[in-house]
Amino acid sequence: MSPQRTYSQTQPSLWKARLTLATRSLRQSWTLFLATRIGVIGLAIIAFYALLAAAHPILMMFVWEERVYDPVVGYAFEETRQPAPPSLKHPLGTDPLGRDVLSQLMFSARSEFMLGLLAALVTVSIGTIVGAVSAYFGGVVDAVLMRLADIMIMLPVISVLVVLSALIGVEHFELAIIIGIVSGFGATGVVLKSQALSVVVKPYVEAAKTAGGGHVHVIFVHVVPNLLPLSFLYMMFTVTGAIFSEAVLSFLGLLDVRMSWGLMIHVTESAGYLLQVTEYWWLIFPASLSITLLCSSFYLVGRSLDEVVNPRLRQL
Amino acid sequence: MHYMTRAGAVRAVDGVTFSVERGQSLGLVGESGCGKSSIAISLLKILPDSARILSGSILLEGVDILPLSEDEMREYRWKRISMVFQAAMNSLDPVYRVGDQIIEALELHVGSAPSEAVERVRELYDLVGLNHSFIPRYPHEYSGGMKQRAIIAMALACEPAIIVADEPTTALDVIVQDRILREMRKVRDALDMSMIYISHDMAVIAEVSDVVGVMYAGRIVEFGETKDVFENPIHPYTRALMSAFPSVTGEKRELATLPGEPPNLLAPPSGCRFHPRCPYATEECRSQPPPTVRRGVHWADCWNPPEDQSP
Amino acid sequence: MAHYLVKRSAQILLTLFVFLSLVFFIVNAQPGDVSSFYALNPDIPPETRERMQDLFGVNDPLWKQYLVHVRNTFTGNFGVSFSHYPRTVADIIRERLPRTLALFLTASVISFYLGFALGKIIAWRRGGWTEYTSTIGGVTLYTVFTPWFGLMMIWLFAFRAGWFPIGKFLDPVLWRDAPTDANAIFNRMILSAIVVSIAVFALFAVTAKRRMAHSRLIRIGGLALSALAVAAAWFATGTGYLAWDILKHMILPVATLTLISFAGTMLLTRNSMLETMREDYVMAARAKGLPEKDVRDRHVARNALLPIVTSFVFSLAFAVDGGVIIEQIFSWPGMGQTLVSAALTEDLPLAVGAFVFVGVFVLIAHLAADILYVYLDPRIRY
Ligand SMILES: Nc1ncnc2c1ncn2[C@@H]1O[C@H](COP(=O)(O)OP(=O)(O)O)[C@@H](O)[C@H]1O
Ligand code: SF4
Ligand SMILES: [Mg+2]
Repeated sequence: MSPQRTYSQTQPSLWKARLTLATRSLRQSWTLFLATRIGVIGLAIIAFYALLAAAHPILMMFVWEERVYDPVVGYAFEETRQPAPPSLKHPLGTDPLGRDVLSQLMFSARSEFMLGLLAALVTVSIGTIVGAVSAYFGGVVDAVLMRLADIMIMLPVISVLVVLSALIGVEHFELAIIIGIVSGFGATGVVLKSQALSVVVKPYVEAAKTAGGGHVHVIFVHVVPNLLPLSFLYMMFTVTGAIFSEAVLSFLGLLDVRMSWGLMIHVTESAGYLLQVTEYWWLIFPASLSITLLCSSFYLVGRSLDEVVNPRLRQL
Repeated sequence: MHYMTRAGAVRAVDGVTFSVERGQSLGLVGESGCGKSSIAISLLKILPDSARILSGSILLEGVDILPLSEDEMREYRWKRISMVFQAAMNSLDPVYRVGDQIIEALELHVGSAPSEAVERVRELYDLVGLNHSFIPRYPHEYSGGMKQRAIIAMALACEPAIIVADEPTTALDVIVQDRILREMRKVRDALDMSMIYISHDMAVIAEVSDVVGVMYAGRIVEFGETKDVFENPIHPYTRALMSAFPSVTGEKRELATLPGEPPNLLAPPSGCRFHPRCPYATEECRSQPPPTVRRGVHWADCWNPPEDQSP
Repeated sequence: MAHYLVKRSAQILLTLFVFLSLVFFIVNAQPGDVSSFYALNPDIPPETRERMQDLFGVNDPLWKQYLVHVRNTFTGNFGVSFSHYPRTVADIIRERLPRTLALFLTASVISFYLGFALGKIIAWRRGGWTEYTSTIGGVTLYTVFTPWFGLMMIWLFAFRAGWFPIGKFLDPVLWRDAPTDANAIFNRMILSAIVVSIAVFALFAVTAKRRMAHSRLIRIGGLALSALAVAAAWFATGTGYLAWDILKHMILPVATLTLISFAGTMLLTRNSMLETMREDYVMAARAKGLPEKDVRDRHVARNALLPIVTSFVFSLAFAVDGGVIIEQIFSWPGMGQTLVSAALTEDLPLAVGAFVFVGVFVLIAHLAADILYVYLDPRIRY
């Protein structure tokens, strides 16, 4: 029997063991996570907005008349003056163009989640691979990737997006990809590399190498899985960054989107209601608060995960 | 003294009584995790937030320091009682010159003028055998042994009545360790100070102390003159510790005749705390706290002490 | 130390080239050459367009264009702005860079000082409501939607209370028949600020070195005295009211930027302090009988500062973005506002020029942080 054979035969049980270990540590982590409190608050906020996002298509289908409630082209015909204050039919009033604010808010929640998720996925894919490859090969590969990381870390992402919006025009998809790249090659990649450094010296990595596992195989089977918990943590911070940047850009009117929280404030500004905070509060507060809350909720979850992963930060 | 942790109270020091005469040297010995360092930091009352001294008294020259306020306590620290830390390597602040760190203590307690303080630091460096040229250097420029000497110099700076030395030489190699031990003894004799010397290494304790307390799981289990304890150990734990010496490498090693580890002090064993590891354990060891066996000033807590072999 | 600094400078120079390449790549990734920006704008006469074609070397091979691009960056040649035609990009940047620096540096210094001082205190009083409220407040300020926060500041302190003007750099009515133009006044203001800071810094250094008694009194007195002296000089020249007008416009954006960026420093300081407090030398300092305040300031805080300076580099991008947003919200005509409005009006030469400057600024700040670190950590210094 060649060493290669033995090696591949042990693999299923390896994964099984890993899975049991993972479930057990997951349960422990969950207990620790619950103890942090701020994480639970964050999770509750996320759940609230997820519910809003999920309810929107259902309401549109069964309750809300499309002509009136469409977040982009709807119009509240029954109101005599736009923007109209909150009423039974429009719980958060209408915007200067006569569109229902609640519907806009709920519709946008969904795109914020998709944007955040996409950015986070791109970040994690790039970050884990950069981290693993950089730690595994070291040398020139590491040097090049780390110089690149230097620049990504120092790149003011919103300013970059501002310039890009003038040059190529940016939509949600591009925004997510760009944020994912900057964070993945930058801060996330660096953190994951330092984690990967402690993984590549583990005996099982050495064993896999001597057993004839190719570079790609060893990296993906033995190094990357050990980076996933930490990269999950950094996903949270990426989501915060993505939602925040989207909101800023669409608020500045630099993003080609049909509707988003930032755009809602942009419309308010263009119509000149921005400083009538008390008179037209529904034009400013729902969107701004939603951006703030959703950003901080992912940040809070990330911070408490940080405490779970890094015992140094835990209180005894 | 207890550490309040999330998992419960760790009873790190539990019913310990001892006294040190002027000019005398007391050794405390035991495996790591027995509560030796906890005693040391209790003596200076520099406890972490989680630690509480629940009861008892610490008399320093007849004054109980436990009820003293922080301000009053500061007057005692370093001037009357100073300490050489376990992690001597990290006891010097990396961003200040070593000389300045000693001067910091001198200015605070002796109130000496800068020029006098520098003169005093020179004396101290001579005493511990360090070159004067190192006074204005930073800790990272010192070797391990030199840092240790600097720490000792710092502990001596205000001529305290008593020095607590917590494993001062554990991190050093044997040769340096030996030299420093010899110097410490010399200094102590010269200045007529008391000393509490803490170590996990019987050999070191035998060399430096007049009386010895053997600690196990937060308690002193045997106490006596060094000679008596070494020639006629009563407690099985002491005997196990002694079988592990002499040390050759100076590294931490397993106790040859004693498998296992000291117990978790969150929930110490019932009866005699040593019973799970004791080769002589009997039924009463498990259920009842052991009685004190006395042979003059030498005593130990054990149900099944060996025959008295002294003449 | 010299070795370390040379190495870091070389790395930063390398980073600068990567950054410039990135900009070049982005600009060239879009259809048409650089001069086609100019073709899009009907206000630009054909001669100017040809001049720009020469400037950017659009008919040369790509590698040559790249070299030209790098050279233009170093000589500050970014072409002509459309939205401010016929002003050059360099001219606009020269006017606005000082305004941004004034805003950004003031806010950074104050927020660092504030964040560090508060973080220190929170870490020292572990637990209790101080820690709880300041952590909540810190996280809120850290994640709040910056434009909204700026807006609320304007609404509250400028619109409702009327204490400050609503945005902009100056009050045009006041300046209509001013003897001097705003840029000259502003440059003089910056000069005054530099003089005051040098005086205060020198006082700090002297009092710290000599360990003088009443050092706090001397410092605050010195600050007040030098500020008074400068103010007197201003009013003696009769332009004091103009400087005061600019200053009034500056207070609110500086305060807002300070508030959003100090929270990060505060939370970071707290964590760093908590880690440092576990060090053995801290216990040693306490054993020496030092008063708590000295243990905290001289030993814990001094060492906790090191990781804070390191992570300053990580937060730099965030801070710069914050500055861009604040300038836009407050219509403060600095680099950030220039960048955004150039993007909004599709004034590409200006947008690219402003962006390159933002990048260069970040790199210089990075280098400054490195030098500061070397100064603070003797393990690298020697
Ligand atoms: N800060 C702390 N918090 C909780 N438990 C502690 C702390 N420091 C020490 N302990 C526990 O107290 C016991 C005694 O520790 P220590 O006094 O350091 O022993 P020794 O110096 O003999 O090695 C050990 O069980 C240790 O785990
Ligand atoms: S009392 Fe019993 S268990 Fe304890 S040391 Fe003596 S013989 Fe061993
Ligand atoms: Mg110890």
